[in-house]
Amino acid sequence: MGYEISLLTFMGISIIGSLSLNLITGFCGQVSLGHVAFVGIGAYTASILTKADTPFFVALLAGMLLAGSFGVMVGLASLRVRHDFLAITTMGVNFVFLGVVRQQEWLGGELGVSSIPDPGLGKLGFLALVLGCVILVALLSLQIRRSWMGYVFEAVSGDEDTARMLGLDVSRYKLIAFALGTALAGLSGGLYAHHVRFIFPDSFAFVESITLLAMVVIGGNGSILGVIVASALLSVLPQWFQFIGDYKLLLYGSLLFIVMRFSPGGLAGLAKNIFPKSKKAFALKGNQ
Amino acid sequence: MSLLDIRNISVRFGGVHALEEVSLNLNQGEILGLIGPNGAGKTTMLRVITGVVQPNHGEIDLEGEMLNNLPIHARVRKGLGFAQQLVRPFREMTLAENVALAAGAEQTRHPWRSMFRVERRNALQESLKWLAMVGIENAADSYPNAVPLGYLKRMEVARVLALRPRMLLLDEPLAGLNQVEATAFADILVELKSQGQTILLIEHNLAEVRRICSRLVVLDNGCKLAEGSPETVLKQPSVLEAYIGQGTVHAEN
Amino acid sequence: MLYLELFLQGLLQGSIYALIAVGLTLVYGLLRILHVAHAGLYTLGGYFGVLVYNSSGSLMLSGVVAMFGVGILGVIIYRLCYEAILDQPPFVPLIASIGLFIAMEELYRILFGSYGISYANPPLQQMLPLGGMYLREGEWVTILVSIILIGGLAWLSSHTRLGLAWRATVTDPQMAESFGIDPIRVRYFNFFIGSALAGTAGMIVGILNNLVEPTMGSVPSYKALAIIVLGGLGSVRGTLVAALALGVVESFGTIYLGNVLNRDAIAFVFLILVLMVRPQGMFRGI
Repeated sequence: MGYEISLLTFMGISIIGSLSLNLITGFCGQVSLGHVAFVGIGAYTASILTKADTPFFVALLAGMLLAGSFGVMVGLASLRVRHDFLAITTMGVNFVFLGVVRQQEWLGGELGVSSIPDPGLGKLGFLALVLGCVILVALLSLQIRRSWMGYVFEAVSGDEDTARMLGLDVSRYKLIAFALGTALAGLSGGLYAHHVRFIFPDSFAFVESITLLAMVVIGGNGSILGVIVASALLSVLPQWFQFIGDYKLLLYGSLLFIVMRFSPGGLAGLAKNIFPKSKKAFALKGNQ
Repeated sequence: MSLLDIRNISVRFGGVHALEEVSLNLNQGEILGLIGPNGAGKTTMLRVITGVVQPNHGEIDLEGEMLNNLPIHARVRKGLGFAQQLVRPFREMTLAENVALAAGAEQTRHPWRSMFRVERRNALQESLKWLAMVGIENAADSYPNAVPLGYLKRMEVARVLALRPRMLLLDEPLAGLNQVEATAFADILVELKSQGQTILLIEHNLAEVRRICSRLVVLDNGCKLAEGSPETVLKQPSVLEAYIGQGTVHAEN
Repeated sequence: MLYLELFLQGLLQGSIYALIAVGLTLVYGLLRILHVAHAGLYTLGGYFGVLVYNSSGSLMLSGVVAMFGVGILGVIIYRLCYEAILDQPPFVPLIASIGLFIAMEELYRILFGSYGISYANPPLQQMLPLGGMYLREGEWVTILVSIILIGGLAWLSSHTRLGLAWRATVTDPQMAESFGIDPIRVRYFNFFIGSALAGTAGMIVGILNNLVEPTMGSVPSYKALAIIVLGGLGSVRGTLVAALALGVVESFGTIYLGNVLNRDAIAFVFLILVLMVRPQGMFRGI
């Protein structure tokens, strides 16, 4: 039972992480290859604060705020560089984050932060908290997509210059996408740190950014349901089937490649092709 | 009454003068044609008005308010409506959705608040009205890839109109259309003018320009060459000379 | 003397970066794909080199296999992986390529083991003084090979019909086609040359480190991306300068900033700083 609870908690944290990336990359069209850096900022902030006896929820919030603030900085960068340049810049952000964290004594260096305090909610209570957050983040995503903000995001993702010609403050909208997406990444980081109670730099290596991106694009860039399904599957499959464990990366890599090569719309695109009527539930972008 | 005042604009790219002390004003309710041979500086002038190019010298005023330091989206919010030369629809949206996004300008003015604005029906309704005005309401639910270029050009105008701009700034809207389409399109502009719409038209099709414009400004080599009613301006030998120099009289007509 | 040595070490590292990054920039210039899996081919070059050398003992033969084998494989990757998704939005080939790269690395790990392979009789390890500088033979060879290959490439592109066709296709594919140039063949050629250079670089690094491991491409792959972005994406000349500059910056940076940032982070701090000042990279155009 304990194992299943732990697995579900991990799944929920992954879903929050990938939905947060989906806001930036799926909705607003800004490909980020370094999203896990913000998960890391949330995780480090929250765990260092709770180790200094800050209440858990305050620490969680602080992690979100700090991650969001750094996110706005990267958002500012996204105003200067576009497309492929932006993708590489965000990738750089991930490496810089790791480079800094590895060398800082007070962040534990290579050894990371261990014996992070138990938030005191019990295993089930913590799972409930995580699932509650998943629901909130999913609702937020839905609200954004059906609101005018989502409409503008769609335009920005399609053609920024034309969006400006329609009087849309593209820069502000992009910053909002980055602020929200990275703050929620910080949330998933804070939750992650207090779930495993031990973090180190490699928990936030570049390949983890790719894992998050894999969840988003395999689910279908921009599709909320698709992303949830993909993250649930990809986070849990390797743990369930131990024999996959060793080949986890081979599986991720191949899946990423195969999905992009044969169904660039991801699971959502696939579902749309099989059941054309379900278009609304899987509402999808990046694919005609 | 002058709506847009452009005073002494100079633009230099490296050592080249793209525009040299050009002034022009756009009056309420007129169609002003901005013409000239290729490379005369028309497009640069439009870019100065949109804010893509910062002039080295000179001022752009909208009813006495200086626009020089505003980014493009803010200029649009002040009432400048731009239609680009190359049509750029949002390809993931239907024509109606393209127009509705502009029609909902009030919903998107404040980015954070836009998250709490959900109702799109009114904007979609309104978009049909604008599509009808340019005569393509039958294609409202089509995607851009499924309609011909002429439709997209009209959609682009409908999309700008949906912003309820105080003036339309059109960059070669007739380019790529055949003569029948071009005339039909020009007629739409005349119709808009009769409803009080102010229009700045950059155009190569001199026959249509002559037919629909209230007034012309001619640019050549970055300088203002002539200004006045179409009949008088097009009679001036220097204007004809400028076009002959470029060989565009034959090429464009 | 320390400065000169640091500078030379930087140039050495930079010329290896250049061999990898030139292929990447060729692909980007022609197809606008960020070809991350390129580094997988680089690793494969390392494996071809060490495996052929250990079984045949001929450095020449292993060099030929690393170069041509990897070159041909590059063409196959283009055919099977990229050709079908060229008209998709840019993130599609990018992510496909990242996936492919991860899968390649894992495949090497499964096939050749995670601890890596060393040369049985490590070649080119003698110290060789030249002009007062002490470098290993392998390091001199690296510099020499980089100059020959990249110089050859420059000559090829400016003095042969093939090079002309290639430059025309990069500038304007439609124009090139109307001159009777087959764009598909140019792409094959492009992938062949780029991959062959990467394969050579992989073999060289395998010799210098006397170790070929499945993950040896990880760091270069992302750094090579940083380099071609610095160089202005698609500009060969820019890429060369950026590669050498990064090598030198890293070489000095690890000495003076080593306790704040590690080597990889320095590269990306440099990248981000340059991009903020010049969002289109250091150079534009070919």
